[in-house]
Amino acid sequence: MERLLALWIESLATEQPDGSTTRDTLALLDALSELCPFSEAVRLGLFVLPVRGPSRFFGGLDAVVRVVRQCVLDVVGAEPSLGVAEGLFCAELAAHEKVVVPLGASDAFRRSQPLSVLGRKDLATTCSRLGLHTLGAFADLETARVAERFNKHALTLHAVARGELSELEGQRDLRLARRLAQLRGEEDLFEEQGGFFGQRGDGDDRADAAAHRVRRRLGADAIVVANLRGGRGPEDRATLVPWGSPPVSVRDLAPWPGQLGAPSPATTLVHPVPLQLRDGANRPVVMSARGSLSAEPTAVIFSSPLRREIIWYAGPWPLVERWWSRHRRRAHVQMVLASGEALLVVAESSRWWLVGIYD
Amino acid sequence: MFAFSPPRPSLSPELLATLRPVSLAKSRTLPLGEPWRALVPGAGLRRGSTVVVEAPVGLGGLSLALSLLSEASTQGHWAAVVGVDDPGVLAMAELGVDLRRVLFVPRPRGAWAESAADLLDGVDLLLVRPPSRAAHGAARRLMDRVRERGTVLVVLSEPRGPWPLPADLFFSVTQAEWVASSRLDARYLTVRVSGRGEAVHGGEHVVVVPNRHGRAEAR
Repeated sequence: MERLLALWIESLATEQPDGSTTRDTLALLDALSELCPFSEAVRLGLFVLPVRGPSRFFGGLDAVVRVVRQCVLDVVGAEPSLGVAEGLFCAELAAHEKVVVPLGASDAFRRSQPLSVLGRKDLATTCSRLGLHTLGAFADLETARVAERFNKHALTLHAVARGELSELEGQRDLRLARRLAQLRGEEDLFEEQGGFFGQRGDGDDRADAAAHRVRRRLGADAIVVANLRGGRGPEDRATLVPWGSPPVSVRDLAPWPGQLGAPSPATTLVHPVPLQLRDGANRPVVMSARGSLSAEPTAVIFSSPLRREIIWYAGPWPLVERWWSRHRRRAHVQMVLASGEALLVVAESSRWWLVGIYD
Repeated sequence: MFAFSPPRPSLSPELLATLRPVSLAKSRTLPLGEPWRALVPGAGLRRGSTVVVEAPVGLGGLSLALSLLSEASTQGHWAAVVGVDDPGVLAMAELGVDLRRVLFVPRPRGAWAESAADLLDGVDLLLVRPPSRAAHGAARRLMDRVRERGTVLVVLSEPRGPWPLPADLFFSVTQAEWVASSRLDARYLTVRVSGRGEAVHGGEHVVVVPNRHGRAEAR
């Protein structure tokens, strides 16, 4: 499950008759997206953003929390409740309690919660009669027993309690993204990009049903759909989002100047793999601040003792771009190895990462 | 007695222009794009059939398999991709795949066969990359259900971990060669096409996947 920073802003949770809530939500979402492009308005009052990338960029989780808090104060003028945990369900609970759940502790954190957090009074009452007071105790019930005793809806809640699903049904407001898009005057683009929300046919319904089946089997994050967005490298432009989550804004879809052209790698690593480039004398190849290489790379070394000869390379194509910041310096290099494989690597300061495989 | 062709009725050119050949098989096949149309009988993928794409790691198997989805997806068919952990969706868009109708299950963990079965009823094309070596029983069950449902199963495998059952159509990449100028331009794939039943235009073909626009084409 993805580690998320959740923001709970009480003053944005209830709709005001003058429409100011939606406007403020949009303004805050835009401001957060400047800090992290994957920021999301989950429903009124609740925002999330993944913390992995920003932590690396801003220099740690505390720095991200500070920057985000300041951003909310600047835009909305209200103090947010912030929390960090794995998965949307835990992240929201963490925000309400204003805690950072340490890496790997989300399971224990979830299990210690009272049953009322599932939002179903009848279930909580029945369980407390059975002597079950925490999510952990409920999670330990066998799935078959839950199915016997409760209705189908309880099975989903059970999956959430067990950590097999990362979010509650109804935790997201699927219409919010559309309303925000309308407010931006982007309705048409939204339709086109949405696909799932546009004109529907018989095939779409069948596909939806199939996606539901996989989701029940593997959890909410297991089934994803594509979302193309702006950005200079394939690893920035191509994102996969959980099926059923609102589409990302398409403002950036226009091709960027200097963007790496076709063909793009058929594999784009979500988590880039560190590697080293070596020159003929087996010295590490580094990229200078001006964007040139210290020497011709002749071999690539992955973190294991795996070493491959480079028979051709092109680049670097240095890019200063606005992603986490206005001054992020990266460069792409394409290479073909003696084995016939072609790779796309990125230099970021003095380090190299494998971001794509032309497989 | 009938060994001569009967005279054809003469039709007006306007009417002729509106006619198309009778193709009963059409609804039973999914369309294929270039360059595969010319290499596969019926110029399409027969519903209920299993297609295996076999290539050594990194030598274009994934691009080839994805290119088989493009024409059908453009024409409105849904596809699912199971077990391809980091799909390059930009490359898919360049290949002509309509991403609005593709579902991905990148990491089915142990349940690749189950996830594939879950998706069968919902999509017309199912691309599966099984982990290492697929079990005979799981492969058999999946192929049976594919036949029953009329889906097309495309399996991506490696020579080291081959699909355990014979396929209706088999693409084997034997060689991959990049053409580069100041950047990567195109890759020439030598592909052996074989199959059973209908006459497959067997033998080796050289195709370009991808070309400098990211598309697949004949050489």
